Amino acid sequence: MERVRGYLGHDPRRLVLPIATFGLLVLPIVSPNDVSIATQALLFGLFAISVDIALGYTGLLTLAPAAFFGIGGYSLAKIVVDYGGSFWLGFPVAIVVAAVTALLIGYTPIKQRISMVYFALFTLAFGVIAYDFVYVTTSFTGGSNGLAFISPPTVFGVDLSDLVAYYYFTLLVVAVVAGGLYLLLRSDYGDVLHATRQNELRMRYLGYNTDREKLIVWILSAVVSSIAGAVYVASIGIASPSIMSFALTGEVLIWVVVGGAGTFAGPFFAAFALTFLENSLGSLWAEGYLLVLGILFVAFVFLFPEGIVGRFWDESK
Amino acid sequence: MMYYVQFISPDQFITYFLNGLSEGMILFLVASGLTLIFGLVGLINFAHGGMLALGGYMTMVILQRTGSFWVSLIVAMLLIAAVGLALERTIIHRVYEKPLLGFLGTFGIGLVIEELISYRFGDQSYSISAPLSGGVEVFGVSYPRYRIFVIFIGATTALLIGALLTRTRLGLEVHATANKPSTAEILGVDSTKVYTLTFVLGTALAALAGGLTAPVTSVSPGIGMEYMTMAFLVIIVGGMGSFKGSFFVSMIVGQINAFGWLFLEQTYVQILIFISAMIFILFKPHGFFGKPEVFE
Repeated sequence: MERVRGYLGHDPRRLVLPIATFGLLVLPIVSPNDVSIATQALLFGLFAISVDIALGYTGLLTLAPAAFFGIGGYSLAKIVVDYGGSFWLGFPVAIVVAAVTALLIGYTPIKQRISMVYFALFTLAFGVIAYDFVYVTTSFTGGSNGLAFISPPTVFGVDLSDLVAYYYFTLLVVAVVAGGLYLLLRSDYGDVLHATRQNELRMRYLGYNTDREKLIVWILSAVVSSIAGAVYVASIGIASPSIMSFALTGEVLIWVVVGGAGTFAGPFFAAFALTFLENSLGSLWAEGYLLVLGILFVAFVFLFPEGIVGRFWDESK
Repeated sequence: MMYYVQFISPDQFITYFLNGLSEGMILFLVASGLTLIFGLVGLINFAHGGMLALGGYMTMVILQRTGSFWVSLIVAMLLIAAVGLALERTIIHRVYEKPLLGFLGTFGIGLVIEELISYRFGDQSYSISAPLSGGVEVFGVSYPRYRIFVIFIGATTALLIGALLTRTRLGLEVHATANKPSTAEILGVDSTKVYTLTFVLGTALAALAGGLTAPVTSVSPGIGMEYMTMAFLVIIVGGMGSFKGSFFVSMIVGQINAFGWLFLEQTYVQILIFISAMIFILFKPHGFFGKPEVFE
């Protein structure tokens, strides 16, 4: 009891992490019907974190996150469906393709230090190209039909194609990747990133190569998006152009802003909660859920200009 | 096979050229509204496509009541300008110069508009018959009269707004506010009013584009988004905030779209246009006519 009190100290917010972890662990037992939507919500949460490390931590306003999510998804689907390769091979392939693409797209704009808005529109153009690309290359990506029938394999006697097993697999992946990112951002390197966003010029005077740091974060963000995309595609069994669409880009940016750009947990919780909200609203009132969502976003501009978490949870403490 | 080269007669050339011109004019109306708002207050307005769609639907609805396309076009434009005014005064003015909040707010508004439209009219597309039916002889080629009218309207609007920006006191105040709001205010410019007027003008241009395009293509809830991506590209390449730039680039993109399919499939033409735009940004990050931080 004393140790618990010592852990909590004067900060009851420390309860959030253990409660959330416990909640996620028992979710399949408590409400078995929500397992598949919870799997997707977890992955969207990871996706939101990956966008936030570029946007919130480094100030790169990207309008192409769905392109990298899709690159991950299509890489895995291509390996499994078309080449009959192993499910596990899909991940390194997704990571490499995403990293190389991110390097090609990001190198020159970041080196040239084009402004935030130009960077946003530059990536928007890339997002449109990526989306058009999967539509036209019918023989390569299946066009509008996508690449279907991906079934996760059995590991150590556990059949991952079972929904609950796949949920725990997803939880493990998300925990490991997000935990790794968290440690990175809490390290000295994370401080370098924070300082770069706040005063880039001063960091350059101090001898830091800020362009390189930004490029590294940009590639890291793309890689994590692609991992989320790959696990997502296997959970729904098909890679279709909708995972590359601007609608998904819009949603993930909204999760980040709603959760609070530049906070670690905020975007994850926003993505998780809004995915559930969308799903339940969608089943209650199918035509109206996007409408309600739109009104919510507008309301946010009035209520929480800094994001929910940004308002109640100052991470600098 | 994606390649197929065709040879065309002079008559076909004129038809394609005019197609490119009329498409370019509509694109210009969309892009000029976007670029005006961006150039003045640094807002990327994601609700612009929604306004365009609203313009198309509103024109259609009023046309069913009144039977006159011209009345509907003008009334729809005025009504949507009023919607723009209401939105600017309540929501948009809070998000100027804040890229992230601006995205959230305008994207939300766009979503609401699009969903209200598909709630009311469903997801199918409607087509309305073009007024000014029949053709007109252009260099010995018969061409739809309505499309000639679209070209005429686009060119007139370009001249009018160009004159407004360069020849009138309001234009001067817009330039001054865009460059140095604080100095402009000291000199007696009501910058809040200038912001509002510019936003309403931009919205009206989107609505006009929507109404004009309704008889050419059909209207569907997603029509705004189709024009928006291309319009974004136009304002990047033309120079953000540059009115001249968006006119010239719209014309070029219109022609590429019209003639491009002689060599490539339509989607490849689009990919090609976007790749050229990305390469262009890298070499000239401020566009054809844009200068850093200066509104033209």
